[in-house]
Amino acid sequence: MGVNIIVCIKSIKSTASQGQRSFSDELNPHDRATLEVALRIREDLGGTITALSMGPETFATSLHEAMVIGVDRGILISDRALAGSDTLATSHVLAAAIRRLAPYDLVLFSARTADSDTGQVGPQTAVALELPIITGVCSIEQGKNSLFVERNYDGFLERYEVYFPAALTIHQSAIRPRDTGFLRIQSVFEKGLECWNHTDLGLNRKEVGEIGSSTRLFSLSQTKKMRACAFMSGSGPGQADQLVKALLQLDMI
Amino acid sequence: MNIFLSDKNRLVQRIAHGFCEIEIQPIAGKIDKEAHFPWDVVKKMGELGYFGIQAPKSLGGAALDTVDYILIIEEISKSCAALGLCVAVHNSVALYPLLAFGSEEQKKKWAPQLTSGNKIGAFCLTEPNAGSDASGIESEAISKDRYYVINGSKAFVTNGGVAGIYLIFARTNPNNGNKGISVLIVERGTPGLIVGDLEELCGVRANPVSSVRLNDCEVPSQNLLGREGAGLSIGFAALDIGRIGIAAQAAGIARAALEEAIRYSKQRHQFGVPIAKHQALSMMIADMATKVDAARLMAYRAATLRDKGESFSQASAMAKLFSSEISSEVTDQALQIHGGYGYSKSYPVERYYRDARVTRIYEGTSEVHKMVIARGIMGN
Repeated sequence: MGVNIIVCIKSIKSTASQGQRSFSDELNPHDRATLEVALRIREDLGGTITALSMGPETFATSLHEAMVIGVDRGILISDRALAGSDTLATSHVLAAAIRRLAPYDLVLFSARTADSDTGQVGPQTAVALELPIITGVCSIEQGKNSLFVERNYDGFLERYEVYFPAALTIHQSAIRPRDTGFLRIQSVFEKGLECWNHTDLGLNRKEVGEIGSSTRLFSLSQTKKMRACAFMSGSGPGQADQLVKALLQLDMI
Repeated sequence: MNIFLSDKNRLVQRIAHGFCEIEIQPIAGKIDKEAHFPWDVVKKMGELGYFGIQAPKSLGGAALDTVDYILIIEEISKSCAALGLCVAVHNSVALYPLLAFGSEEQKKKWAPQLTSGNKIGAFCLTEPNAGSDASGIESEAISKDRYYVINGSKAFVTNGGVAGIYLIFARTNPNNGNKGISVLIVERGTPGLIVGDLEELCGVRANPVSSVRLNDCEVPSQNLLGREGAGLSIGFAALDIGRIGIAAQAAGIARAALEEAIRYSKQRHQFGVPIAKHQALSMMIADMATKVDAARLMAYRAATLRDKGESFSQASAMAKLFSSEISSEVTDQALQIHGGYGYSKSYPVERYYRDARVTRIYEGTSEVHKMVIARGIMGN
């Protein structure tokens, strides 16, 4: 039948070191599993995969990477008016872009990102598109005209059948992503990305960016975990005795 | 460093970095200790394009440029110098001569086996009595009907123990000096090609470096690479590219040592403060970082010149000389910063120290490189 899949991906500030400096941006590591889910569905059902990302021009590398991994088309939504968008404004922009890509069958997000990790963009975009959404999907099976998905939440395994079109947020435990190689790189850079801005999406400047956002991050500070460290001295059996006593005192055993 | 790199170069670097961190870094210490060639990882690398980095797509390659190539070698070597060496030698001095000097039939026959990593390539120039002076080659290939019969002995063959395709340098004309040397493609399994015992080396221990003997080894005349007598010019052209790879390898090892030194010096406390706070050590780290940056830039320059079609031999020789020398210095200083722990096998710096040492020897010693560079500057 062939399904059209849209995968919304994100670039994050890199933690990997490149000599004394770090790589500027990198693909959200959780997106690898989400892209893998899309690739497997396309392998079974045919169709196309489009990767979509909103952000500055430096996000292009992650879209290129998604194309190297195997998606058919990469679209970067980027312009200055979009800077400072909160999760709701971002979701409106993504929803407008996804509408422009209609017809589509499946919209995928990662359940988490390795940076801000709000978990909001997927569900908000699905609401804007009036799509059913299952969040935190940890396994996927294909039915005849539907998908059977599972989510593991609060000690319960929930199993759903969803019909297209639908949105899912994928938990990275769902699948192990394949290794990325070099064989497609040259053709990806020959093909290039498509770049859209907010006017291409028919959006007003006041609906996007800082002006279009209903929340603003006021401050950010690191919290400290209250942890105490104690060392048990002596040899193995002695240390074990001390550990048991210490845990008993804390009512932990 | 990014000013010299295109978006594509950076993506290549990031992809290589990600793979090496996950697949190679965790096993590097173990395979060094056991002198074990990790076929399972190598097989994966073959599927991902590591063994045909610059080969055209039509032959199964990734069609990347020289800058991409050295970024990949640098990243692999940062995790494991022995695997970096394997990939560098395979791509630069085994696959490249086939692509540059091979006939269409030869490329069609052997290139896909090499680019897929199904067969590893080896370059057999060095002999027990011919090291820096390659013109001293004694191996002979006598033309007989439609065959060459090769006899001789090759030493320190990188990838020797696992290679599927060997480029053998031998004299096809004993009376014609340097112009009497030719290159023959010999497949593993050819009767008379005997892979000797693996060398017990100080560093790059996971690379199966071996000797190779040729005992009345017969190969069809179609296995001659390029024309008869062109052997040394093919070899030197390959080594020009090979040297950029070794520069990148040495820089990768030095980077690994530098990062370990930085990490350790922030962690280790002496006299009540992290040792990084002691000026003697912070000055050392500043020197190390500067050298590593310079080495990488020289390798990038040589690679960029090649990609632009400009002359790069001199830049490649300088990059290899400088990078291999500073790699020894930087790994030595990293070991010093670790103190007694650095001398112990519990930390990886002793491996970097051993691995860096050989980069000053293979693919032309530092002394030969100085000779080449001086000749380039002052003429013969």
